[in-house]
Amino acid sequence: MRFNERELVSLSRQPSELAAELGMRGPKKGDVVKKRLVKLVVNFLFYFRTDEEEPVGALLLEQCRVEKEDSQTFSIAFLDEAERKYVFECDNEEHCKKWIDSINKASYEFMRRNLIYYRTEIHRLTGKDPLEQYGISDETRFQVSNGQQLKARDTSSL
Amino acid sequence: MKLNERSVAHYATCDTPPDKTGFLFKKGERNTAYHRRWFILKGNMLFYFEERDSREPIGVIVLEGCTVELCESAEEFAFAIKFDCAKARVYKMAAENHAAMESWVKALSRASFDYMRLVVKELERQLEEIQEAAGGQQGRPKPSRRNQIARPKSGASLSSSSLSSLSSSSSTPSMTALFSAQKGLQDEVQLFPGSSRENGVAWSKPAAALANGFTEGGARAPPVPPRRIGASLETPVSPGTGCFSKLHEWYGREVMEVREQWLQSQ
Repeated sequence: MRFNERELVSLSRQPSELAAELGMRGPKKGDVVKKRLVKLVVNFLFYFRTDEEEPVGALLLEQCRVEKEDSQTFSIAFLDEAERKYVFECDNEEHCKKWIDSINKASYEFMRRNLIYYRTEIHRLTGKDPLEQYGISDETRFQVSNGQQLKARDTSSL
Repeated sequence: MKLNERSVAHYATCDTPPDKTGFLFKKGERNTAYHRRWFILKGNMLFYFEERDSREPIGVIVLEGCTVELCESAEEFAFAIKFDCAKARVYKMAAENHAAMESWVKALSRASFDYMRLVVKELERQLEEIQEAAGGQQGRPKPSRRNQIARPKSGASLSSSSLSSLSSSSSTPSMTALFSAQKGLQDEVQLFPGSSRENGVAWSKPAAALANGFTEGGARAPPVPPRRIGASLETPVSPGTGCFSKLHEWYGREVMEVREQWLQSQ
């Protein structure tokens, strides 16, 4: 599958949510732990060899599951191949928890759910769709459910 | 550079709803002819397939940091996806009619993670304001992510019924709508009000295909999206993200410019 590598490399250079040197082990049998500079940028996890400009690789963090493996280790597995785990070793437990929390919040789909929650809640409390004033009520990505739209309604029915 | 391609491709066709789909003409990289491809926009990823029923995408364009503009072209309804990095490729596209072109330009302009993050932050801020203004309630209302018993709204009451069990029969239409938004993520959800959450990740079923960030048993508002370091930096290409209405104006202006350009070309 083709992808715009140059632009993705450029993205890896953007300010990150979280970056640290972690021990990283690939999902294949026989993969060993390697020291990598791991960087979280939007919904991508980039990993670099220390002091290298261009990342070794990137993981799109959609449809994935992050799990604590032990006190300092977490893993990322993708739902389409759940047995293959990328394992990351952190310095300490707090560090590990922070990574898990950040990666969980790093997906576009996670944000979308937040948005739907806030939109619905604001609408429920005020009777108004908060996105209307910005003219983006009809955007598919903000819909409460597939294709359905949040119409202004009489909230006494709630 | 490596990428988890198989999983990325899976994201394209998995059951989360796409943001936009349709046929577009895409100009080839070496071959300068335009090829008709089936496009699926999901989040900040634009996938393209040979045919509408192809199972695997030919490719994907990561849209983060891009700008979308009309372009001069022999092709009608042409627009381009541009990036602000050295030797970036310009993706020239053409829609089948004017409405499609406008719709795609709008959708693609708003596809970035940053934009979504900003909208979420803004709504979160608004909700906080509303909750503070209402006052008199205990703490923050718990999100009714699951079906809620319908109750008449009285005055400024903000409390939501606590969720004790999952039963689809008692849902109100709006809660069903909210629930079905979650449905795209998984088909069955077990809600355990008392379940422990370990580091924000609690899996009720080991085999369940639960997407990241989905917490269970927690009747609490979703956490604040992380603040992006340097997010308020403004460049000619990327608007400052510090102020939502300003950012939104920026996006709105882009769309207006596209519209004007088209009108002028008529």
